[in-house]
Amino acid sequence: MSSRGTKQKKGNVTNEQEEEDQPLQAVLIADSFNRRFFPISKDQPRALLPLANVAMIDYTLEFLTSTGVQETFVFCCWMSNKIKDHLLNSKWCRPTSPNVVHIITSDLYRSLGDVLRDVDAKTLVRNDFILVYGDVVSNIDVSQALQEHRHRRKVDKNISVMTMVFKESSPGHKSRCEEDDVIVAMDSKSKRVLHYQKTQGLKKLQFPMNIFQHGSDEFEIRHDLLDCHISICSPQVAELFTDNFDYQTRNDFVRGILVNEEILGNQIHLYVTNEGYGARVSNLQMYDSVSSDLVRRWVYPLTPEANFTDQRGQGCAHSRHNVYRGAGVSLGHGSQMEENVLIGRDTSIGANCHISNSIIGNYCTIGDNVVLDRAYIWNNVHISNKVKIHQSVVCDGVLVKEAVLLNKQCVLAYNVVIGPNMSLPEGTVVSMHHPEEEEDDDDDEFLSDDQVVGNSKDKTKQKGLVLNPDPDSDSESEASDGSQDMGSRSVSPEMDDVKVFQLEVLGTLQRGEEENIGCDNLVLEINSLKYAYNITLKEVMQILTKVVLEYPFQQQGTKLSSSQYTVLLLPLLKKWSPVFKNYIKRAQDHLDCLSAVEELFLEQETHQTAMVKVLMNMYQLEILEEDAILKWFSAGATTDKSRQLRKNQGLQKFIQWLKEAEDESSEEGE
Amino acid sequence: MMELQAILMAAGGGSRMMDLTYNTPKPLLPVGNKPLIWYPLNLLERVGFEEVIVITTRDVQKMISTDPRMKLDVKMKLDVVCIQEEADMGTADALRHIQQKIKTDVLVVSCDLITDVALHEVVDLFRAHNATLSMLMSKAHEFTETVPGQKGKKKNGEQRDFVGVDGTGKRLLYMANEADLDQGLVIRKSIMKKHPRMHIKTGLVDAHLYCLKKSVVDFLADNKSISSIRGELVPYLVRKQFSKSTNSPKIKDEADQNLKGKDVSVNPEIQIWFRDEKLLQLSQERSCWNDHRGDMGEAYHGGRLRCYVHIMEEGMCYRVNTLAAYIEANRLAPKLFEEHAIHPSAVISERYLIGADSIIGASCQIADKTSIKRSTIGMSAVVREKVKVTNSIIMHGVTIEEGCNIQGSVICSGAVISRGADIKYCLVGSGQRIDPEAVRTNEVIVGTDQLMEI
Repeated sequence: MSSRGTKQKKGNVTNEQEEEDQPLQAVLIADSFNRRFFPISKDQPRALLPLANVAMIDYTLEFLTSTGVQETFVFCCWMSNKIKDHLLNSKWCRPTSPNVVHIITSDLYRSLGDVLRDVDAKTLVRNDFILVYGDVVSNIDVSQALQEHRHRRKVDKNISVMTMVFKESSPGHKSRCEEDDVIVAMDSKSKRVLHYQKTQGLKKLQFPMNIFQHGSDEFEIRHDLLDCHISICSPQVAELFTDNFDYQTRNDFVRGILVNEEILGNQIHLYVTNEGYGARVSNLQMYDSVSSDLVRRWVYPLTPEANFTDQRGQGCAHSRHNVYRGAGVSLGHGSQMEENVLIGRDTSIGANCHISNSIIGNYCTIGDNVVLDRAYIWNNVHISNKVKIHQSVVCDGVLVKEAVLLNKQCVLAYNVVIGPNMSLPEGTVVSMHHPEEEEDDDDDEFLSDDQVVGNSKDKTKQKGLVLNPDPDSDSESEASDGSQDMGSRSVSPEMDDVKVFQLEVLGTLQRGEEENIGCDNLVLEINSLKYAYNITLKEVMQILTKVVLEYPFQQQGTKLSSSQYTVLLLPLLKKWSPVFKNYIKRAQDHLDCLSAVEELFLEQETHQTAMVKVLMNMYQLEILEEDAILKWFSAGATTDKSRQLRKNQGLQKFIQWLKEAEDESSEEGE
Repeated sequence: MMELQAILMAAGGGSRMMDLTYNTPKPLLPVGNKPLIWYPLNLLERVGFEEVIVITTRDVQKMISTDPRMKLDVKMKLDVVCIQEEADMGTADALRHIQQKIKTDVLVVSCDLITDVALHEVVDLFRAHNATLSMLMSKAHEFTETVPGQKGKKKNGEQRDFVGVDGTGKRLLYMANEADLDQGLVIRKSIMKKHPRMHIKTGLVDAHLYCLKKSVVDFLADNKSISSIRGELVPYLVRKQFSKSTNSPKIKDEADQNLKGKDVSVNPEIQIWFRDEKLLQLSQERSCWNDHRGDMGEAYHGGRLRCYVHIMEEGMCYRVNTLAAYIEANRLAPKLFEEHAIHPSAVISERYLIGADSIIGASCQIADKTSIKRSTIGMSAVVREKVKVTNSIIMHGVTIEEGCNIQGSVICSGAVISRGADIKYCLVGSGQRIDPEAVRTNEVIVGTDQLMEI
């Protein structure tokens, strides 16, 4: 890097005058490298998803152009052809465009790091450039930030490599979503970033002391900042990504720079604006808030009626209460558009509809007596009579049949047909894509800022998604995936992991039963699952116990009698006892296993008589030790129910028997 | 009835400047020819206090009442409470000691504070936010003068205090000493959610001036383990602002019940805040005002214990607790009061050179051809011919014989500097005698008995 660094410096000396005159460049990354919009993004790249009826990337390009960017490199990976087509047909590729757009596509990009390494390899940037994602919506004038950045670089000899743009936004504001919350420690005077961290899932924020050793006596810790994901980068940034090939995301980069500050001497600064709008549509929650902000004109001059993309027919009329109507919109008798409603061109709406806070795309037909609230209806959607949609996204080409109710946070992906007469529970995601198909053809993980969150959740999500748009096999999908939730603020991925793990264990055991797999291999599989879902040993044991004991119900339904149940269960216990023994070793393990047994039988009250037999069997198979059972019996009762359970006659007898056996054995010992 | 009762803490020994306080207790050290304790008293008098409770030792009380040189020139009524020196009482202990006398909220001042702060700034915070605690801090000053006996520049090895305030710079959110931060600076996210912008300041000095609710004093009475205001009580209150028990409504109800039942045996912790007046509470509930942005939640996020700090950006604020601070204070103190620099009763010969920034105490004798610049000469000091005093503090009853040259030094009371001595950057202990023609530089000259003690 050093050799290149000096070259750069020389260049700077000779070109110092020209520097100001050189065109401002931007690197726009039209791929999110994550799957927060899956399965919608399966059919359409995120950058092209409509936001108030305009593709997201158009907002980003408009923002760049208005801030003075004259040359933009758009990097595409996923569905690059679609993005390319879109851009070639847009105003950005007309010869009159003040912003020259170069489209660079490659299927090899897997992260922001890859893109910037490519920028470096191709030496595309000559000067400070703006780095944005293709889903950033903003009207911030970054020229001030750019000036500060340049000034810093002039004064401090290229020490500052990046200026991150933040918008002030207090916690609790709706444009904040927990997933993107950051905490920044900065030097008050120099605006230097000392510490940068995502706060999701943290209770305590820890700042290393060395960041306070820089001679300054005033620092700021800020949690009122919204990361706009707009960064002003020095050309070194691309080089640094090349030098540190393990940097994949901007987070990696920022962390690396801050940690190695003393070694490399590079610094990152921040620019905070309290006017202007800047946000990244990083998930559906943000999609919801940014869309509604657009309609409410917070992003002025990027308003729906402005038609800044200069597409023919896109224009619409703005009337009071922020109601926008495109050309050729027809509205049936008695229909109300209450407020904050945007309706695209040639959309027809039936009679007696009630629409509020919603966006409807082009060429849609909406029947009679439809209620839409916070609904995002894209293009060519057909909605039949008496449909109610609350806070949901309906993608292109969807057909919603009569009397369908979409509760909050539902997503109907492309071309889904749904209904009639059904209600989708909260958080349902319906897509035409089979989750497994996704797993097969797209195995390599993307590397992105949300990686940690994304990965673990994607798996659960794929399980939860309904793939079949057939109206009858509808809603077994309890798509509790936080990723697709709009407005849900508390997400607990651990819970999902445990659930999925349980399903996987069940699957493993079923296969083991069907294909007669040896216990050693079962243990091996369960172990690998344990690591995949990050499950503790204790949980493994509890889940294993639960799954095995529930196995008969699973196979034969819950209407088994107790005796039938035991008949089915006991051979299984015998068969899988080596699996148990592998996990139940220490005294605590025994107790945990027993409490899992207890828990299960507390749920299955009718089968409590079977419990004794199960315990007896487990004892005889040497899965459980008598000491542990006795200890559990004497100490374990914490609730009334469990006390009740212990009064079971059979159980009492069993314990009695155990005690006597113990006495005998100890006598024998003597 | 007074809104605030003023309490002056004047029992400290001055452990960080033993050389000076060997003979004179810290509250009575002369600064600009006035005892140190005069400055906080004057501060209180200026804003209209009529009565002050002074907590001090018997020695100090005796010296104030007997020694004419220690006469305190104040019109306020002083209610002097003596505590035993041996008991080693902290400031909180002292406050607990006088709990019976306290009828209202209190203003606690330390005797070593010299400041020109507009005191209402601190009190206004206390009033406006119905605060539990409001205190005064100031930007730390660099001491420019050379300190006797100190080799080279003192290194900044002291542990810094980390003080966290909110965006307005008034609400006190965090307080910790560097020494306790091995694990790094840890802040709970819930605090950041309520106060998303926290300024962490390190270059501050605590003026040891506190407004405290009466309930805090009552709390101290019940909680005997706290012995120091600054060391324990203030950090405790600052932390307590965000603890769950202080803010949850359930406990509030319990506390209300306890109030009715006069149950004394409740957990003393919760007594700090529940004595909000009913009307005040009601007005807060009805008010649409809140103190934060982002949501429309209740003001102060429902917190009932609130700590505030006024940070002086400008002006003078010194705590005279080290030799360096003492010298600095002497240099600046004359600016605080407008009096004749030269006391009328001083006997001064015709031919002298006294800089405008010097102070000559009562009944001094200053002989011919002397030159006194940027110095303070104590009462009844005798300065003979051809003496040059620059940048120095000469305490009461010091005799400086002919031809001496004294520069940047502190000469404690009763010392005698013999003829022709040349003393630079020294501290001469009280009653010491410097030999004629002696040349001393950068030394601390004290009696042997004094050394033993150290």
